[in-house]
Amino acid sequence: MPGVILKALTKRYGDVGAVDGLSLEIKPGELLALLGPSGCGKTTTLRLVAGFLAPEAGEIWVGDRCLSTPTSVVPPERRRMAMIFQSYALWPHMTVAQNVAYGLRFKPGLSRGDREARAREMLRVVQLAGYEARYPGELSGGQQQRVAVARALVVEPEILLLDEPLSNLDANLREEMRFEIRRLHETFGITTLYVTHDQAEAMVISDRIAVLQAGRVAQAGTADDLYHRPRTRFVAEFIGRTNVVEGVAASRDTVTRGTVRLRVASGELEPGARVVLSIRPHQLRLGAPGDATDATNALRGTVRRTAFLGDTVDYEIAIAGSDLVLRAAAPPTPRFEIGAAVGVRIDPAGCVPLADGD
Amino acid sequence: MDRSIAVWVGAALALVVLIALPLGWLAYLSVSGEHGATLGHYREAFADPALQKALWNTVVLAFWTGLVSVAIGAPLAWLTARTDVPARGLIRGLVLASFVTPPFLGAFAWVMLAGPNAGILNTLWRSVTGAEEPLLNIFTMPGLVFVVAIYTFPYVYIMVANTLALIASDLEEAAAILGAGRLAVARTVTLPMVLPALASGFILAVLQALALFGSPAILALPAGFHTVTTQIWSLFQFPPKVEQAAAFSIPLLLATALLLQVQKRLLGRRGYAAVGGKGGQRRTIPLGPWRWPALAACLLVMSAAIFLPYGVLAKGAFVRAWAQPLSRDNLTLGNFAFTFFEYGSTRAAIVNTLELAVLTACVGAAMVALLSYVTNRRLVVGHQLVAFLVLAPVVVPGVVLAVGLFIAYTRPPFVLYGTLWILFLAYLTKEMPVGYAQADATFRAIPADLEDAGRVLGAGRLRILREITAPLAKSGIIAAWCFIFIGVIRELSASILLFTPSTKVMSVVIFDLKEEGQFGAISVLGLVMLALTFATVALVQAALGRDVLGARR
Amino acid sequence: MSKRSTGLAVAVALLAGLVARGEAQTPSTHLEAAKKEGKVVWYTSLVLPSAERVAKLFETAYPDIKVEVHRTGSQRILQRVMQELSANIKNVDVIHTSDAGHYVLLKEKKLLAKYTPAGVEGFPAGFKDKDGYYYGLRATVNAIFYNTKAMSAAEAPKTWKDLLDPKWKGKMVTAHPGYSGVIATHVLALVHLYGWDYFKALSQNKLMIVQSANDPSTVVSSGERIVAVNGGDYSAYQLKKKGNPIEIVYPKEGVPLVVSPTAITAFAPHPNAARLFTDFTFTREVQQVMADSEGLYTGHPDVKYPADKPKLNELKLLTVTPEELEKRNEELRKRFVEFFGA
Repeated sequence: MPGVILKALTKRYGDVGAVDGLSLEIKPGELLALLGPSGCGKTTTLRLVAGFLAPEAGEIWVGDRCLSTPTSVVPPERRRMAMIFQSYALWPHMTVAQNVAYGLRFKPGLSRGDREARAREMLRVVQLAGYEARYPGELSGGQQQRVAVARALVVEPEILLLDEPLSNLDANLREEMRFEIRRLHETFGITTLYVTHDQAEAMVISDRIAVLQAGRVAQAGTADDLYHRPRTRFVAEFIGRTNVVEGVAASRDTVTRGTVRLRVASGELEPGARVVLSIRPHQLRLGAPGDATDATNALRGTVRRTAFLGDTVDYEIAIAGSDLVLRAAAPPTPRFEIGAAVGVRIDPAGCVPLADGD
Repeated sequence: MDRSIAVWVGAALALVVLIALPLGWLAYLSVSGEHGATLGHYREAFADPALQKALWNTVVLAFWTGLVSVAIGAPLAWLTARTDVPARGLIRGLVLASFVTPPFLGAFAWVMLAGPNAGILNTLWRSVTGAEEPLLNIFTMPGLVFVVAIYTFPYVYIMVANTLALIASDLEEAAAILGAGRLAVARTVTLPMVLPALASGFILAVLQALALFGSPAILALPAGFHTVTTQIWSLFQFPPKVEQAAAFSIPLLLATALLLQVQKRLLGRRGYAAVGGKGGQRRTIPLGPWRWPALAACLLVMSAAIFLPYGVLAKGAFVRAWAQPLSRDNLTLGNFAFTFFEYGSTRAAIVNTLELAVLTACVGAAMVALLSYVTNRRLVVGHQLVAFLVLAPVVVPGVVLAVGLFIAYTRPPFVLYGTLWILFLAYLTKEMPVGYAQADATFRAIPADLEDAGRVLGAGRLRILREITAPLAKSGIIAAWCFIFIGVIRELSASILLFTPSTKVMSVVIFDLKEEGQFGAISVLGLVMLALTFATVALVQAALGRDVLGARR
Repeated sequence: MSKRSTGLAVAVALLAGLVARGEAQTPSTHLEAAKKEGKVVWYTSLVLPSAERVAKLFETAYPDIKVEVHRTGSQRILQRVMQELSANIKNVDVIHTSDAGHYVLLKEKKLLAKYTPAGVEGFPAGFKDKDGYYYGLRATVNAIFYNTKAMSAAEAPKTWKDLLDPKWKGKMVTAHPGYSGVIATHVLALVHLYGWDYFKALSQNKLMIVQSANDPSTVVSSGERIVAVNGGDYSAYQLKKKGNPIEIVYPKEGVPLVVSPTAITAFAPHPNAARLFTDFTFTREVQQVMADSEGLYTGHPDVKYPADKPKLNELKLLTVTPEELEKRNEELRKRFVEFFGA
């Protein structure tokens, strides 16, 4: 099972969706999610990998095969890949069985009977046994999705590409299919590139996530890495919600903004430099205003707005003696009303300096 | 690399030769003199008072045709699209019939109906009222405008009806709930939204009138005036002034190009999609007591375009003297016998026409399918240029195209004049845009994903085209085939300059017979032509599963 | 080449020479050659049903040879021929138009073959080209026609000058000299008689304009207009025979005689069939058919005319020479368009 290596890929057309010197490695058997807002270049990257587009610079390698360079591109049909499309791209003039078996026509040495048997088997795997003779137009969205999955997997591709495959499904079905796709990945272990703009989907499905920004990889890592140790403001804001605090390093482990001083666990700051911190809302501990005012990272503030979300309460807190307004996610008790004075404590480990504050 | 590239590039190159060669020669000859480049032909053409007058007549004809077409087409569209006027399906069908009726046949029929003295309507008028003066005189500018407009108003109708069908009633109701009365809604919401469609329908009608040859030749020449197209045609009389004809063609070409540009602007880049009401419902407006008068008005228009002309052609085909009443003595099958058995040119012309129509439709459909595939999937560098070129003949009136083709193919390297091939090229070029528009819409409706999905699985481009795209595009391409076919069998304005006696087609034979006053034979041939046309239309409707006038499935 | 085959070639050449020389006198030999050619292409301005009838007669007499009839106006025929030649197309064998001027032009351009049809010895001089390239196949005179339902014989115009009366305003029809050779001849003859002023005055009466010289009579018999100011009298004669309400007036000032020549092209693709066909059209039988059923005049001395048509020698004939017609063709068309429009 080969992996995929993208080396400094560049493809510009217009400004939207351009890829600009993108490098990324997908390890053998790994499911990597390409995550980013629309127009970040993730679909372009996928189409470059599939061979529908030729790069203007850079290379694409699968195992020891170089598939794309600016001067030569192995066409899609000879890349031994499979792809699942946002629209499913099922052929309306073919039955479910014909759709699924189509790719097997290009595998040498398979008789018609072999092809049909394999298609039937794969339909069973995706829980569509008995639907062979239907036409795609007669299936529900979820069923069409499964046919698309079966059509891609039945050819036993080296690489599987998915382009926002769940975005056309309603919320419940989407959740179900996330686990289904993960299950199939664990069954077949195909090296997979999964494009999505939905961070929750990326976190559920993938082994690793690569966050794309303006055609480059902003950060790649596990969901845990990206959430707890975002390297850039963009990543921090894109994966979950966060408070961004700009300040100046007073020492190797302290950031000041006006009268507010915050200890930072990492302790590798350059004194005097501008620093941007990411503080997740659940890192803020709320208490009575008088509690341990001399403790580390203890601040005082006033509740400006609250919203009850069931298992947590979302607060907006104006920090005293500062222009800072921080969001906090706290347990439902104790409750603080609008206008109430609160004490706020932040674990230094929860104050993550960002490498790139812009 | 992609082995299919040769196919795409080949199709694109064929297109370039097809379009560029005649138009290039046309432009070149219009400025070529014995001693290098000259504007002499232009000076000569535009200083000639007769030609100036022809130019002015064309402007008058086109402008009034546009107005009358709007006056007929817009209310008819509104009635059928938004009200509960009875027999909407029938009216739509009749508009379609008027759309596909060869205008020169209509003009010819109206000579029999409204010639100032013998015209059947005028005879009737005199016998009923005892008046001396005719009710209508078709051999006048207003008469010409009338006859042209009853066959061009469908352009306005199509634009407006399709736009109205896309405007959700919500938009109007939103205005109504804010306090706008019915009239105010129409004035402030509906009309402004339909206006671009209305204006562009007007322009399409104007363009038709500009390019038309048959109707002016039949109605304007006997009245003693020329239009640009008939003037270009008469410049080919011996001794031919081909250079002057070329020079005289250029302004017609430019005017058409300009008008089309304006029309494109009006519609906006997204066309009617700009008005696209998503999911909104369209409720019909009850006309109350006006239902039946409205229907009567619609049928009155349709009787001018369809019932009367078709009726008089049918009469003309079966009688000895068309101006005389239908009596036992007057009835005859002699016209059929003469047309099919005695007149040598007829059968050859019908065979020629059918051969050309089938050949052009097959080659044309294949070409527009390939080309629209190339432009939709951006398969070659410069696909925008391909899209431009394939639509370019829209701006070339038939007569002008014929001048270009005549110049291009009467000299080496391609001497095609005198063969059916020059007519084939003319038809192929002329019908290309219509076919392309249809094929383009077809491919646009087929998502590229469907093809990409197959390629990733291991199928090459051409195989995908065969196994995935072609089956999906089939009905759309059949429709393109039929549109081209219909266009060819009715073509007159280019044929009239390009035929030779051994390559006559039906329209030319009809025109020849007209000059000799052989009304019976014309009627017979006209009926044949109509029968062919409607058979083909039926085929399109079956292929598309909807009527030809609609904007969407 | 061996001696024997050389001898054979000489023999063949001699034989061919003999055949060629004997051709005019022995129709049977050029009949064989004509049969081999299989068809003859005839560009003609003879009114369509008449042209088709002549073709049918020929095909009955010579079943192996087809006649391809292409009928259009005289000027169109010339345009067609020249246009085809400019594209190097050699299609036509026999050209027959009503504009004698064309033959002057074609002869000058060396596009005509010299050929004297059998049996034209007795034709009047006006029917023969002195150089032997073209011969008058038929003749007609321009006359005035009126609709008998619209007026009595007494009310009808009697002379060319009568047509200038404003009471005919909007009621008359003319054919076009830019299309028809008959009308070109007519216009030139009347210009000789009365000058261009005549047509200037005539145009004040708002005439309907048709193309072919055969069309004014159909317009008048249908009643679309009630007076035709010109047109070949034979077309009106035929309509009258069929019972249409039309009558012919031969003005006393004289009637323009139009002799319509025929000639074989120098580049004829079927020269033998062309000669056979030309001879055929000059036989007394065909010439008599033209006189009987078509109401035409011919140059053939033995042809008998219908009793209800005036003999040519009873009419005052206005004639123009082909040479003048050729020279002034452009002028005729220009001035006519100037007065009448299109």
